[in-house]
Amino acid sequence: MMHENKSPYWNLYPAAAALAGVIVFIFATFGPPASSSGFVSTLKGFFQAVLPDYVAAKEHYQLIPGPGSWLMAFVLGMAIGGFIAGRSFPIPVRDVPEIWERKFGPSRFRRYATAFLGGFLILFGSRMAGGCTLGLFISGSAQMAVSGLYFGALIFVAAIFTAKFIYGK
Amino acid sequence: MDKVLLGLLSGIAFGFIIQRIGATNADKMAKAHLMIEPQIPQFMLLTVILSAIGVFGLKLAGVGRFLPLPTSILATGVAAVIFGIGWGLTGYCPGTCWAAAGEGRGDAIATLVGGLAGTAVFAHFHETLVPLLYAPTNIGQITLDAWLKPPVFALILLAIVFSGGIMAIGKIWKKDESLP
Repeated sequence: MMHENKSPYWNLYPAAAALAGVIVFIFATFGPPASSSGFVSTLKGFFQAVLPDYVAAKEHYQLIPGPGSWLMAFVLGMAIGGFIAGRSFPIPVRDVPEIWERKFGPSRFRRYATAFLGGFLILFGSRMAGGCTLGLFISGSAQMAVSGLYFGALIFVAAIFTAKFIYGK
Repeated sequence: MDKVLLGLLSGIAFGFIIQRIGATNADKMAKAHLMIEPQIPQFMLLTVILSAIGVFGLKLAGVGRFLPLPTSILATGVAAVIFGIGWGLTGYCPGTCWAAAGEGRGDAIATLVGGLAGTAVFAHFHETLVPLLYAPTNIGQITLDAWLKPPVFALILLAIVFSGGIMAIGKIWKKDESLP
């Protein structure tokens, strides 16, 4: 499309086709793609080093493989992919998003504290449901699982209400 | 070892693509949630349609591994609301925060650390919370193609509903032309 759109971001159609290609590749070579399990994998590795008896006794750590698994390699790969993409992109990265700064000021502490709380909630919720945006909504819906469709509908509604509450009109 | 290499390569490609659509930009995600940035939710729904077609093809070819998660009416619902509140607060998902942390975004690193804390707390209380919230209303690994036969009808239904969603977002989300 050759109109005057100078945005460095990709058009959604080729981007969705590319990501779906990666997702189908993952289903073929591994199984359902997942991100939140990578957090469990990472923590399991940490706790195995410092509290091995605790890991052995907790069911949640027995359900997910530790470091050296596809799951942990995938999230580390995502960080590398993000690094390469960010370094080859014309828009500089920010620690505090513009929309946040306009409403709450440039304080990093305030933004990081909120981001920490948000991170806590998204992982607490993901581990309760068994998956996240990728592992439950996208993977699940691609397999036509009711769990993924149900989770997907509710996360959008809750996030819309939360964003409207925080940022207002 | 080849599983690790496959995971790493898949992750690199995944992280690169989601950065290029803007999903690792918390400013864009907040605007998506405020219903003024339609591209990212439309991208997510289209990705699901195309992935579902691909998964359907893999099943026909007998390739790959599939594992639909069970639906627990109570736990999946409560978890989704907790997740959605967190998503609205931070603007990152458990996947996008890794790619955004790789980009060097400080608030994504804070999200990642918060995520490790949330995982540790849930894992600690797993033995109490799962029998209490998850197990009683667990209705199993139900999928649309299990009750809509032949399965291609379920795929068509999913594609129609999600395409409707993409069009609805295009109409309802008022695009802010000042966005980069």
